[in-house]
Parts: sequence; structure tokens; C-alpha cells
Amino acid sequence: MTGDRPLGLVLLEMTLLVVLGPLVTGTIQKIKARLQCRQGAGVLQPYRDLTKLLRKGTVQADTASDFFWLIPVLVLAATVAAGALVPVVRAGPPAVPLGDALLLLGLLALARFLTAVGALDAGGAFGGMGASREMTIAPLVEPVLMMVVFSTAVAAGTTELGALAAQRGTSWLLAWHAADFLGFAAMLVLLPAETGRIPVDNPDTHLELTMLHEGMLLEHSGPGLGCMMLASHTRQIVTLGLVAALFFPVGPADRAGATGLLLGTGAFAAKILVLATFLALVESSYAKLRLFRVPQYLGVGFVCALIALALRIL
Amino acid sequence: MSAETVQTIIDDLGALLLFTMILIVAAGQIYRAIYAVAAQSLLIAIAGGVLATSTGNKDLWVIAGLTLGVKATLLPWVLHLVVQRMNVRREVEPVIPVAATLALAVVVVVMSFHLSASLGSVQPAITGNALPVGIALTLLGVLVMATRKTALTQMVGLFASENGIFFTAMAVTQGMPLIIEIGVILDVILAALVMAIIVLRVGSTVAAYIADLDELRG
Repeated sequence: MTGDRPLGLVLLEMTLLVVLGPLVTGTIQKIKARLQCRQGAGVLQPYRDLTKLLRKGTVQADTASDFFWLIPVLVLAATVAAGALVPVVRAGPPAVPLGDALLLLGLLALARFLTAVGALDAGGAFGGMGASREMTIAPLVEPVLMMVVFSTAVAAGTTELGALAAQRGTSWLLAWHAADFLGFAAMLVLLPAETGRIPVDNPDTHLELTMLHEGMLLEHSGPGLGCMMLASHTRQIVTLGLVAALFFPVGPADRAGATGLLLGTGAFAAKILVLATFLALVESSYAKLRLFRVPQYLGVGFVCALIALALRIL
Repeated sequence: MSAETVQTIIDDLGALLLFTMILIVAAGQIYRAIYAVAAQSLLIAIAGGVLATSTGNKDLWVIAGLTLGVKATLLPWVLHLVVQRMNVRREVEPVIPVAATLALAVVVVVMSFHLSASLGSVQPAITGNALPVGIALTLLGVLVMATRKTALTQMVGLFASENGIFFTAMAVTQGMPLIIEIGVILDVILAALVMAIIVLRVGSTVAAYIADLDELRG
């Protein structure tokens, strides 16, 4: 199998995603702080948090099994592996058969499952509650995400993200099919849910009534917590990268050499910045939904994705 | 503009129209439904402008302007005024849960696409997906009217339904006679005014909402 992206480039892209993940979180926090007329912490704050956590010792619940300390490592590994499947600087299929969008969604789901299992394993009440809520939301989010992927994959004839992005070429909004608009609308509805943000989840609080994802991290400490946080940063940028690959493949340059790579990186950064600003704006302008209103909110995304798929097929 | 470009633009506008319709169906608060229907009317006006440039039909410009002025500005403003004046409950009161309405909406959209796919030989005469989108908008407007309790949200459903008919008429017939379109718009204005007057009047004299009167039935 010949591809446009050699293994070295894929590994470079994966590293780039992991390294830039916390920066995206920091940027979103900064934009939110400015919108609330606060100075806010610097954009590098997530890195400082991570290094602080990695230096600390670990405290573990007595009830936790031996499996517990493995959880953060496994979650991080699954998320980083998912990062290898997203085209960053250049479109086109990778030189080695890695996997497609389905594997990406599967790896993210695996990370989510492991997080929930870890939360249950520690035996804390909040962890269990967070896990049960997360597992209530997940079945509503993941199928819709898959349908959005399918609605673009049907047109391109492949589910491999790099090939899909290359197939769409450097076209801009004018070349969007009608189904793309609805698929993108569904994606925008899903994005806060998938990245664990308002109106579905609140990443800033440890209050037991509002949290989903944070509740599951309560029992982790030290380097384990650091791994979990790095995993959630990476998950966020991977999801944003998925959106960019599906709907705005304008950036990834075909030109080889250093200029092509730099151009691709710049375009990718611009796309991620736009999506991050969108997330920050949504978080600043909406209140968190009650848990029982979340299905109705996600229902809008579901209907949009289904109609997008119907538009492609019918 | 070439015929293909027009078809693509109408298809894209159709997708956005469907999106606004889904927002209307899913809206939990009256204000959001009103804003969504205003956005929908704006898209209809844009579609009118596009079709006017492509077919060279001057009447379509008049219709697009009327849609922009009346349905995208005036009527939402009237609804807004009524909501403010009446101090009504801001939440939409559905007869069946909103999630169930959304599921029905999917069925309606898929069925209307399926129906117009079976048209066969007539199809090439129609611009893009305009017919199924128009049918879906009309039926979904009726669905909103049927599944809401308060008069205001039923009115929003009526506007959406009317938008659907308008879109179909514009895209399928390349513009109906001007007099008919103006007559239709006048009808809608009249319906909105009558609704506003009735809601305000009943509210001020009886101090009850129309929906509350249902509870008086034996």
C-alpha cells in the first residue's frame, strides 16, 4: 500500500497533537476568562498543572484493586493511539495501514470505558455517580458521531480519514454538499458533549451535582491524575482534528518539503483555534443543562446527522 | 449563474432551512422558536433572490423583499411583542415530549425525500431538492402546530408551514404570479394580527390564556 504520509510523519503528527493538546485547553480557558472580564491564567497553565502532578506522589484508595494504577496509562495510550489516525499537516492515506475513523471512535470509546471502570473500581460514591452519568450520555453521543462520519464517508467512498480529507481536496465552503451543512451542524451540537464542556458537562468544577468527567477523576492522584488530564486534553484536540479533517480539509498541503509541512501546520492551528473559540463562546453564553434535558439537546444533533445521511443516500 | 450553481445553492439553502426547522421543533423556549423562524424566513428571502437572478423573473425580487420585510422582521417582532406584553410562560408546552416530536420529524423528512424520489420523469423540471425540503417544512410546521398547547407556538408552526409552501412554490414553478404571492403574505399578516389581538384581548379581559379555557370543558 502506497501512501502520502510516511510512518515518520504520522508519528510526528501524533506527537504534535499530544504536545499541543494542553495548549488548546489553556487557550479556551484564557478566552473564557477574558469574556468574563478576568485576567485569567496564562495559556501555558495546563502544562504547569501537568508537570506539578507528575512530580507528586500517589495516594490510592484501600478498596481499589491492583488494576487501578494501570487505568491512567491505558486511557492515555488509547487516546494517543487515536491521535495517530488524524491527519494533521498533510492529507492522504498513511503509508502503513493504521486504521480508519471507526477505529478512532472505537479507541476514544475504549478510553471512556476504561475511565468509567477506573471510577467504579475505586469505590467512591462520586466516581460511581460520574461513571453512571458518563455512560448515560455516551450511548447518545457516539452513534451520532458515527453517523456524521458516515455521512461524509459515503460521499468519499472511504472511512480512512487521510484519504477522506484528500478526496475533499482543497475545496472551501462553496463546494459543500447540502448534507455537509447538516452534518456540520450536528457536529457543532455534539462538540461540547464530546469534549466534556457546557452545556453537557462542566470541566471547571468539582461540585458533585454538575460534574461528569471530573467526578471520575476524583480518586486518581499524582502522576495518574496527570495522565488522565493529559488524556482528556489529547481527546479534545483529537476530536477537533476529526472535525477539521471531515469538514475543512483546506489546509493540509500536497506540497512536499518544509514549506508544505509548515503551511499544513499553520492551517491546522488556525482551524483548531477557530473551533476552540467556538467552544469558549458556547461555554460562556449557555448554562449547563439539567441531566434529563441533555437527551433532548443531543436529539437535535441526532436528527441533523440522520437527515444528513438521508440526504446522501436518497 | 449556471443552472448547476443555482441547484447547489438551493440545495444548501434547503439543508439550512431543514436545520432551522429542527431548531423550531426542538426549541424549549418560545423566544428561540421565534428567532429560528425569523432565520428561516431570511433564508427563504435569500433563496428568492438567487432564483430571481437565475430566472430573470422580476416578480421574485418583489417577493423576496416582501418576505424579508414581513416574515423575517415584522411578524417575529409582533410575536416578540405579544410574548413581552402578555408575560406568558417562556417555556414551550408540548403535548407529547419534544424527543418524540423530533423522532416524528425524522420520519417526516425521510418520507418526503422518499416520496419525491419516486416522482420519476417530472423531477428534472424541479430545482434540486426543493420539493422534498418544501414538503418536509410544510408537514413539520403542521407537526409543530399539532404538538404544542399555546397559541403562540402554534403560530410559529403556521409561519414555518407557510415558509415551506412558499419555498416549494418559488423553486418548483420558477415564481408564481405576483398577485397570488402578495395575497398569501397578506393572509399570513392577517392571521398573525388576529392571533395577536385575540391573545392580548382574551388575556386582558378574562385574565386567562386560551389554553387554560380547555380546562373548563366538562
